[in-house]
Parts: sequence; C-alpha cells; structure tokens
Amino acid sequence: MSERRFQRAEDVELDYGRDLGDPGSFPFTRGRHVSGRSASSWIQRELSGIGSPQESNRQFCQLIAHGAHGLDVIGDTPTMGLVDADHPLAAPAVGSSGVSLSRLADFRALYDGLPLEEISVSHSLPGAFGIAAYYLCAAERGLDCSKLRGSLLQAPLYTEDCAYATHLPAALRMRLTCDSIAFATARMPRYHSFIEDTYFISDGGLDAVEEMAFGFVEVRAVVRRLLARGLAIDSFAPRIGLLVNCRMSLFEEIAKVRATRRIFARMMRDEFGARDPRSQSAIVAVHTSGLTLTAQQPANNIVRGAVQALAMAMAGVQAMEISTFDEAFRTPSPEAHLVALRTQQILALETGVADVIDPLGGSYYIEALTSGIEAKILDMIARIEATGDALELEERGYFRRVIDAAARRYAREVAAGTRPVVGLNVHALPPEQDTLLRAAAERRDEPSCQRADELRAFRRTRDQRRVADALRELRRAAGEPDRDLMPPLCAALDAGGTLGELAGVMREGYGQEYDPFRQVTSPLAADNAA
Amino acid sequence: MTTLAEAVAPRVRVLIAMFGLDQHETAAVAVAALLRDAGMEVLYLGRFQTPSSIALAAAHEDVDVVGISCHSWEYRHYVPELVERLGRIGVPLVLGGSVLTTTDADELRAAGVARVYGSGARDTEILTELRELASARRAKEELR
Repeated sequence: MSERRFQRAEDVELDYGRDLGDPGSFPFTRGRHVSGRSASSWIQRELSGIGSPQESNRQFCQLIAHGAHGLDVIGDTPTMGLVDADHPLAAPAVGSSGVSLSRLADFRALYDGLPLEEISVSHSLPGAFGIAAYYLCAAERGLDCSKLRGSLLQAPLYTEDCAYATHLPAALRMRLTCDSIAFATARMPRYHSFIEDTYFISDGGLDAVEEMAFGFVEVRAVVRRLLARGLAIDSFAPRIGLLVNCRMSLFEEIAKVRATRRIFARMMRDEFGARDPRSQSAIVAVHTSGLTLTAQQPANNIVRGAVQALAMAMAGVQAMEISTFDEAFRTPSPEAHLVALRTQQILALETGVADVIDPLGGSYYIEALTSGIEAKILDMIARIEATGDALELEERGYFRRVIDAAARRYAREVAAGTRPVVGLNVHALPPEQDTLLRAAAERRDEPSCQRADELRAFRRTRDQRRVADALRELRRAAGEPDRDLMPPLCAALDAGGTLGELAGVMREGYGQEYDPFRQVTSPLAADNAA
Repeated sequence: MTTLAEAVAPRVRVLIAMFGLDQHETAAVAVAALLRDAGMEVLYLGRFQTPSSIALAAAHEDVDVVGISCHSWEYRHYVPELVERLGRIGVPLVLGGSVLTTTDADELRAAGVARVYGSGARDTEILTELRELASARRAKEELR
C-alpha cells in the first residue's frame, strides 16, 4: 500500500462480481446472508462458566434473562486440560476460571432446564469430549438431536501451545477432532462441530495475518483428513465456522474478516470442490481481544470493547463475545458480563449498524486493505504448507516458535512505546488515582473445594465393573488407529468414567503415561500389572 | 549500556516457571526474552510446576533468583510452600503477572516474596532489581 494517507480508485483492482458479489453470493466477501438476521442482528453472547456446574447454570439463566441470544461456556483450567477436579494439581484451580466439569452428570447439571433446541450453546471445551457429553445429555432428555444448535472449538494443532494443553499426542488430538466432526455431522447436523478458534491462538501476540494463516492451515489439515476418510465435503463444510480475534486496529480487523470470507469461499469451491453455497460461505464469530485490555484503568477496557464490537458489527460477524473490563484479573464477573452484553445491545439496537450489510464495502481504503491482507494470508499459508505437513510441523515445535516470537515482539513494542497502550505506556495514572471500577475488577472467587469431595464420593459409588470395562474398551480402541473413537468414548462417559480417566486410558492406548503429572494411577493399573 | 562492573560480574541466573495448571504462558515467554536480551541466563522451567519441582531445579541449577509468572489465582495456594523451600537454600522469589493487585503485593511481600510485579512494571525496574537480588544472594553465599 502506498505512503499516501488515502486511497484512490486506481489503488483498487476489483471486479464486483468476481471479488465482492452481493451479500449472500460468491465469493461471500460481503457476508453469507442476503437479509442478515433483521434487527436482532448477530448472536450476542458472553464468555461464561464459573465454579460448579450448578453455579454456572444459574449464571447462564441470568445472562439469558439479560437478553443474551446464546451461551459461551468455558471450562476451568483443570477441565480444559482434561484433569479431574479431585486431581492433586486441580484443587487450587477448580472453578475459578471457568466451570468445573469432570463427568457426564456435571454436564447434565450444567444444561439443566436450558432450552437446548432453541438456544445456541458455544463450547470452549476439549473437542470430542464436549460433543459426546452434549449429545448424551440431549439424547437422555429425549430431544430431537437433529435440531440441536451450538458449536464447539477444535484446535488439534495448537491447543498444547496456547494455554489449553491436554497432554494428548498430536495424532490422537487430530483423530478425536475428525471422529467428533464425523459423529456430529451424522447425528447433530445443525451443530457446528468444527469451529476453528483463531482467537486463542493469536491472543498471545500473533498479528492478523499470522492469525488467519494459522487458522486456515488447521482448517485445511482437518478438511483434507475428513475427505480422505470418504466424507463428502458438502456433508460437513456447511458447519465449519471461524472464531476470530479483534484487536484495536479496527479497519485492519474488518478487512481481515472480509478477506477471510473470500479466501474461504474460493478454497472450498475451487480446491475442495464444495458445491453447496453454505459450504462456501464462512461463518465468522468473534471474541474481542483480551491482550489489548489493561489492568490499569479498567474502565478504559469498556471503551476498547465497544470499538472492537463496532468494528465486528460492521464486518458482519454471526456472533460476538466482548472481553470484559476485568479481563486482566479474571473470567468475567456478573457486573462485567452485564456491561459487555449492554455494549452489544446498544450497538445492535441504537446505532443502526445492524440494519445494513457490509457498510464499508466499496471504500477504496477498505477494499485495498482487504486485498492486501488476503494476499499476505495466502502467501503465509503457502509458505507454511511448503515447509511440511501441519501435524509434523506441530510436533517439531514450528508453530510454538512463531507464537513465542510473537509474544516477545508484542512485549517489546509495548515496552518501547512503539505500540501505544493508553493507561499503560502513555497517559498512565498513579495507582492511588486509578480507582474507577478497580474493586469490581479485582474481586475474587474462591476455588470450589467441595467439587473434589463430590467426585471422590462418586468414584466410590459408581458401577466399578461397568466403568472399568468401558475404559478398557476405550484404551483398546485408542491403540487401533483405524477405529472410530466416538462410540467407546460416549460409552465410557455414559458408564461414569471421568474426563481425566477417558484421556488417561487413551494416552495409555498410545503407549504414554496415564497421568502426565505422575500423581494418580490408572484405574486399569491392575491390568497393566497382570 | 553495560557498565564495566556489569561486564565483569558473573551472569545473573534466573529460573522462570509457572504454578500448577496455570497455562497462560505469554508473559513468561516475554519476560524470559527480556532477561536474556539483558544478558541474564534464563532456565525456563515453564508450565505445570509445583513448589517441590521448582525448588529442586533451583538448587540443582544454582540459580540466583526464581521468577514465577502468575495468570491464575493458584499462586495463593503455592506461594507459602515455595517461600519456605527456597528460604532453605537462600534463593529469593519474585512473582509477576496481571492478576497480582497492589493489595496482593503487600501481602506477598509480608509472606516473604522478595518482589512482586503487576502488569505496569517497567523492564528497567525488573532488570535492576533482579541484579540487586542476585548480588545480595551471592554476597550472602560467600559469607556462608
């Protein structure tokens, strides 16, 4: 792009029909719908989950009462890492950064009374486990699973490097991803079983181009494997979505979303042979950047969230979560939830931004920026894929190196002041004056200690033989690379196996240690000795 | 700018780790880079550590300072034991992370933590203070 601070018509080489098209038509640069979602606009939701499943359920009901259109559930750190609530390392972390889920009954309590056929539940939970539990809970209730909506984040390549390590081997993670997508495609056809989460991989400091290149590399790796299994592209592609980040550089972020839709459409049609327009039109949701928020002057974060949300409303995303003003300190408090939800509602209902689709389309600047970012993303995808197979690159630490370098780059920019952050490296306040919303932002919740006791009691009273048989079968299936893991995984959950046990016996099936932290022994240890 | 005294002094050795299941590693990676850029030696122990694994590594590697990056509330559980274990081998403990509030900083210092850095901490402040802690420890070691 030129050094001029404006663009001219000649800076943009666009063919309307080829590169833009109307909203709802190929290449979907301007969005996937002709009419949008009327005044209700995008799905407005907020990241939630705290303490026990029961407490989280009350939090969900509160959010719905405040007007949330959907739910976005995240597990606490033990749950995200497939560590049970009664594991020695879990105790100080149970329920304090998400909901604690260790067994099927926990999921049952989490969804208790929620209208699953009407409300969309987005899940930030370990892939296949979340899908299996959701399906089992809905089926038990006698719901028509073909009507279930909602979504689940899958990140087989990046999860170990970006804060949610599960200590499952890479090949097993990829296999669980593919098995669970195939499972959901057959049984919950409206459920988005493959949300490519570029938010959490990028919020350590990747830029917009790196974020989307990594995202596409993973989407392509999973799609190729599903096709190789014999699945038809149009059977699963309509349910692929992307959960992207949104930082402060608002035009760049808008252009990124538009470029992403164009890349997705051409890739799906021309490379993977998708014919269904729903397979070609990317579903894009956003989680606004936590990295851009500060511990200093927490009220400023409300402004950042509003700017980012406005950008994403103009970009035409399908769903949104705003990182809240207390992000530096905790997962959202009830007060922070309400402010973020109200921010979305003000944008949707008062500004008119939801009444028009792609309002910036045709701007010389936005179109030039969109084409520029598109070219850079495509170039980076090509460079990564030329380096090697994505799964092998992951095992060699290739992605981790890029992610670490980005974290160092970001920290240096902030320290040097070349990246201005108001309240942090410019316009700072002395701590004694920095009081607005501070008490609310810093409030803490205690870990849910009784969760461990409940789980221990449950372990003693469940049908031991049934659990052991189911876990043994899951371990055997894990050791046979061609077996579909979803039936034994569902059976083991249903029998009362815990997430930690399911993960542990699958690790054993791959010849690895049951507990990566070497603190608990396998329930099948007696077999191993025999 | 490196002074002559700094140039001839032995390199400061810092162990960087995280507690328990706290996995938000970005800051730990960034701080490790900051220290290396400043000429310090960093032993990056990384995630999933406990007071015993950290103290063991600190003793084996003869580090001058242990730095823990905190992005969950688990530090409240682990700090007392780590202070106790590192106290036995005379290694100072510093904590950093956005979750650490000014109230925490006071409490943690009272509990025996040498320095506490919230998210507004300046690089120069961290580097200077780590060097001071390291030379104080070495001076004490020589007296032993």
